[in-house]
Amino acid sequence: MSDPDLPGPESVAESHAGAVADAGAESVQASVHGANTGPRLRSKRRAPLTARQISTREQSHALFVELTDAKTSQTRRADCREELVRLHLPLVDHCARRFINRGEPLDDLIQVGTIGLIKSVDRFDNDRGVEFSTYATPTILGEIKRYFRDKGWAIRVPRRLQELRMTISSITGDMAQDLGRSPTPREIAEKLGVSVEEVMEGIESANAYSTLSLDAGDSNEDGSSTSMLDSLGMDDEALAHVEIRESIKPLIEQLPTRERRILMLRFFRGMTQSQIADEIGVSQMHVSRLLTRTLAELRVSLSEVS
Amino acid sequence: MSHSPDVELRLPAESAYVAVLRMTTAGLAARLDFTLDDIEDLRMAVGEACALVLEHADPGGDLHATFDLSDGSIRVAVSADSSTDDDPDQDSFGWQVLTALTSDVLTSREGPLQWVSFTVRSSIAA
Repeated sequence: MSDPDLPGPESVAESHAGAVADAGAESVQASVHGANTGPRLRSKRRAPLTARQISTREQSHALFVELTDAKTSQTRRADCREELVRLHLPLVDHCARRFINRGEPLDDLIQVGTIGLIKSVDRFDNDRGVEFSTYATPTILGEIKRYFRDKGWAIRVPRRLQELRMTISSITGDMAQDLGRSPTPREIAEKLGVSVEEVMEGIESANAYSTLSLDAGDSNEDGSSTSMLDSLGMDDEALAHVEIRESIKPLIEQLPTRERRILMLRFFRGMTQSQIADEIGVSQMHVSRLLTRTLAELRVSLSEVS
Repeated sequence: MSHSPDVELRLPAESAYVAVLRMTTAGLAARLDFTLDDIEDLRMAVGEACALVLEHADPGGDLHATFDLSDGSIRVAVSADSSTDDDPDQDSFGWQVLTALTSDVLTSREGPLQWVSFTVRSSIAA
């Protein structure tokens, strides 16, 4: 993501990402996007960069230049670092939101993601000609994923065992195919070059990820308790949204910059109309009018399309 | 249990120790080259058998487990001190699971001890 404000690959505003990639210097970025999000991002659409996007990128670039300049004082350097981290906090927020509803509080995810951001700021090499956000995104995501790997376990299991467990479970499937039956621990041990005891340890550790019984009640505040069994086997509602999103995407691209920005702030950043009003510099009433009109227009064009 | 078993284990008669017994059983079965599926069945069966005997166990008593190991099969017996005359409920879900997963499921009483025993055979045994 070229700009932390962008709602990211899953969003309608991804045309921005495409536009930035088109801009030339960021071919690396395009491939990163492509690798992460599949072919639909590679579309070559052009959309104008908003003033704020440019300023964030330029701000970030200027700060990095100052940060790496040998003449910069120690205190100023610390300030630059601080400012860079602050500047990209929305990127962390965006990354963390991708892992929402996976059993860890969003605030915790943002916190570990911010650690990833700080690491990225410290390690970033401005001379490589890569956008900082391109560099930072995988680092932030990596930090969040590592958090899941380390902390997601109900019982702390050493990483050696976690890795062994993963190897065992993947090799078990392969061996079951070859043998026509489930393999014995000894067979697995021979294949992996470890002892039978280690295999058993690895299998045992698999039971430690979540110790919560499926029948465990998830008592809500209103007193109604549903067991975890009830929550299994749901259709993925997000899947239905994909289609809508795909058809709405070109329509949103046709919107004027300001309308598009308001939509984005309202529905992707979750800002209130008053906050948007402050951000854009118009009255809340005006934001409300613009939103209503834009949504009505979208609805009409969407029904025309389908 | 007239003859002496290959492996004997005595644990506090508390459900918290059933996990230890399950793990031990899995370890023994791995030694006998049971497949992972067999081991999972065995593990589950031990858990159910323990649940059956612990239901009527005296608090503060012992949970006994014995294992007879032979090539390709393992016979497990678990018991607990029980001063009640209640036998394990053969209509219970646990008993159903046990009979489905294992063979030769037996329950017997030996003085104060209420035994549940069963055999699991390795699916690759000759």
